[in-house]
Amino acid sequence: MPPRTESQDRRAPPPHDLDEQKPGGTQAHFESPSKRLPAEVIARFCAAVGEENVIREPEDLRVYEADGLATYRVTPGVVLLPATSEEVSQVVKIARAAGLPIVARGAGTGLSGGAMPVAGCALIGLSRMKKFLEVDLRNAFVRVQPGVTNLDVSKHIAADGWYYAPDPSSQSVCTIGGNVAENSGGAHCLKYGFTVNHVLGVRMVLSDGEIVTIGGPTLDEPGYDLLGVVVGSEGLLGVVTEVVLRILRKPEATRTFFATFPSNEEAGNAVSAIIASGIVPAAIEMMDTLAIVAAKAATGVDWPEVGSALLMDVDGPLAECEHTSQRAIELARQCGAMEIRVPRDTAERELMWKGRKSAFAAVGRISRNYLVQDGVIPRKEIARVLKEISDLGTKYGLRVANVFHAGDGNLHPLVLFDARVPGEEKKAEEMSGDILRICIRYGGSITGEHGVGSDKSAYLGEMFSEPDLEAMAQVRCAFDPDNVLNPGKVFPTPRLCGDKPGIYKPHAAELSGQAERV
Amino acid sequence: MIELRPQTIEEARAQLSQLGREKKTCAFLGSGTKLMLGALPRTDAQLRTAGLARIVEYEPADQVVSFEAGIALAALQNALAKERQRLSLDPPFAAKATLGGIIAAASSGPRRMRYGAVRDLILGVSIVRSGGELARSGGKVVKNVAGFDLPKLVCGSLGTLGLIAAATIRVHPLPEAEASLIVRSLSSEQVPQLLDKIRAAQIEPAAMVASRTGPDRWDVAVLFEGFEAGVKQQEAKLRAVAPADRCDPWADHAALRERGELRLKISALPTALPQVESELFSRLPGARAAWYPTLGLGFVSMDAAPIAAELEFARRSFRVVVEAAPAGSTLDRWGPPPQSLRLQKAVKARLDPEGLLAPGSFVGGI
Ligand SMILES: Cc1cc2nc3c(=O)[nH]c(=O)nc-3n(C[C@H](O)[C@H](O)[C@H](O)COP(=O)(O)OP(=O)(O)OC[C@H]3O[C@@H](n4cnc5c(N)ncnc54)[C@H](O)[C@@H]3O)c2cc1C
Repeated sequence: MPPRTESQDRRAPPPHDLDEQKPGGTQAHFESPSKRLPAEVIARFCAAVGEENVIREPEDLRVYEADGLATYRVTPGVVLLPATSEEVSQVVKIARAAGLPIVARGAGTGLSGGAMPVAGCALIGLSRMKKFLEVDLRNAFVRVQPGVTNLDVSKHIAADGWYYAPDPSSQSVCTIGGNVAENSGGAHCLKYGFTVNHVLGVRMVLSDGEIVTIGGPTLDEPGYDLLGVVVGSEGLLGVVTEVVLRILRKPEATRTFFATFPSNEEAGNAVSAIIASGIVPAAIEMMDTLAIVAAKAATGVDWPEVGSALLMDVDGPLAECEHTSQRAIELARQCGAMEIRVPRDTAERELMWKGRKSAFAAVGRISRNYLVQDGVIPRKEIARVLKEISDLGTKYGLRVANVFHAGDGNLHPLVLFDARVPGEEKKAEEMSGDILRICIRYGGSITGEHGVGSDKSAYLGEMFSEPDLEAMAQVRCAFDPDNVLNPGKVFPTPRLCGDKPGIYKPHAAELSGQAERV
Repeated sequence: MIELRPQTIEEARAQLSQLGREKKTCAFLGSGTKLMLGALPRTDAQLRTAGLARIVEYEPADQVVSFEAGIALAALQNALAKERQRLSLDPPFAAKATLGGIIAAASSGPRRMRYGAVRDLILGVSIVRSGGELARSGGKVVKNVAGFDLPKLVCGSLGTLGLIAAATIRVHPLPEAEASLIVRSLSSEQVPQLLDKIRAAQIEPAAMVASRTGPDRWDVAVLFEGFEAGVKQQEAKLRAVAPADRCDPWADHAALRERGELRLKISALPTALPQVESELFSRLPGARAAWYPTLGLGFVSMDAAPIAAELEFARRSFRVVVEAAPAGSTLDRWGPPPQSLRLQKAVKARLDPEGLLAPGSFVGGI
């Protein structure tokens, strides 16, 4: 376990560009460097994956100290870069024999500290595993190694008119393995579903080194839906070494529009009205004034600095698209849209989307530091919750930018602060935590796509009761009884797998005369 | 046999707690439409969910509904229809089946092609574990990655992990228009070819079902749903790809999924239809068969017959599950266990450590 300060830390990666997400935040909290591994352990790792794929020099290890949540840093004991499932299996066995905890890592863009090392661990980097193993368009799937990036899947099949639907904003760098572990979403998941709806099967290495296949290109393997729980399990159940993904034929048409509103209230109402009308937008994204200002500064979109804006896509068969985009525009107007912009060509459409997808990083243009929050609320409460968040900002004296997946109520409030001002970082952390509590109070969730990781485990205990967590922990124990995979992440309190669940003891009154014996 | 009919979830908890203390085994029953699937084991107790049938929360604007698991799909659909919405699941026994049963059996129908299976629509679940503890997972918002996704894990678990007491699921607006067309008399090679053409033309059906009309002959029904303008255009595009007539094959298809003493489910690659035809369908005289061309799922319905040899032969190439068989049948229901059987058993042992819930009825003797 990394040392935890009282407040949780959700510092975003240094802004500007995805490529610049290497650790580099201010005032990082360091875990004390661990002891060097015994030479014979290193030798075994070298024998398994080749000397050049065993990273062990302190200065080289530093590259792997953090993920996208760059504030916390922990030095791994060693980093292994295997190339095949078999190598991963060997590495896991060696690490186990040496008593090392194991952490898997994709591109390290995660925003919840999921890939942050555990002190002295064997960190398994999947970045060398970038092969396409099978492409079968007629059966609509691809089989890839986990280090393939999200965008590369779509690029690989684009010429044939196919694509992979989930599209996290980090898609040009984040890996399919990371997507599987986080059940990543993206703007277009409103219509098409999240990673879990597109993963047909995985091959993974369990905590004892066994290689197991779950699911595959054919549906409905008998038995429990283990795939459903592996996707989104944040590296706690196994190291994924192959993934079978469902791919889709590109739709005939896409229609995009950008609509401006006086405030979040009108924009929020427009989202509800459009969805209530029976339209399922491919994407419907919302940005408030600060996010618009930031996107303008970063990408050169010429958006007016209004109270709120929506960027929406509908896609599908041409006639359906024409109809739904017209109808959505009418509804937006009825809800108070001031201006509707329809891109003239693909280039203009792409610029609009670039404005949206680079918005997190863009906020770096208007604030020295910021925390990225990720919470979910019922869609119809958007306007009300945004108001509460803005009131919180007033209370704490901090600015908040909002840019988020409005269609599924997945908020991304960015809490802006200046780490040079004493106490401001702490205030930002507190406020960010309060935002999660608002989400819980409205019946929502503490994370829609960034995961719990090491960052939000305390809040998981606010969202779920002890028995809820206990059931989840039992699933982890089934996969990893010795708690060696990504230990200390997700669950609020450390749990041992030995304890058997107790029997629930009902109140005496509950028992009276209820079991009817026949 | 103890028969339990809880009227509230609290009552179900108390009952399961008592059974747990007495180390008594228990099986759960909705309306009983899928009994054959798990071959309901002999247990000390049976708990019927019929008394747990309330809609707990329905928020049309959020397009989610929470309910107790004993509610019938038909009853839920009626309530949703008042708001011009529906649950986009069309499993067999839609009139009688309870949501708990549908979730527990992971049962799905043709619309799975567009809307996904139960696992893709379910958002949250409350289970009562053996011993009576209540565990929630997931939530009531459409997007949520907090904690492990137990709602998906219980889909298809056939009551072996806990009583599915309540759940939350995503619903959709009722489509404004729909049209069904049929492309007749294709061979098992031509069925996947038709799908290739449909994709090439960027036609997006909501469902497709191929029905076997004779040896290597298939009629392919195509369903469009959506707004009037879109449905019309798609219908025209389909007709340009293949000769197609309007039709209404859905009641017939439902009958195939629901009737017949012996019912099989096949799972293979979508392009493997010719192989499934020659290695299974053509060897079962008198059987009716259907095939979901994009999903690679097939269904057989027939009178009781000794088919153990045919089953074994087919299972060398693809997966076949016996969904229904006459009482006393000795057919192997599940076929070869999945490679993850050890993990499957570990999950069961962790969530139901005393092995009290529907023991022995599941895959690999779980
Ligand atoms: C600018 C920016 C924008 C983002 N936008 C989005 C967005 O729109 N939607 C969204 O969902 N996320 C978004 N993210 C978050 C992040 O990109 C995703 O969570 C992504 O899936 C992480 O992939 P990765 O390869 O970087 O994984 P990592 O960060 O390396 O790892 C993430 C987790 O996955 C585990 N893991 C990685 N590989 C494996 C494996 N092979 N087997 C088992 N476990 C593994 C790790 O242990 C860790 O717990 C964004 C991040 C940034 C920086």
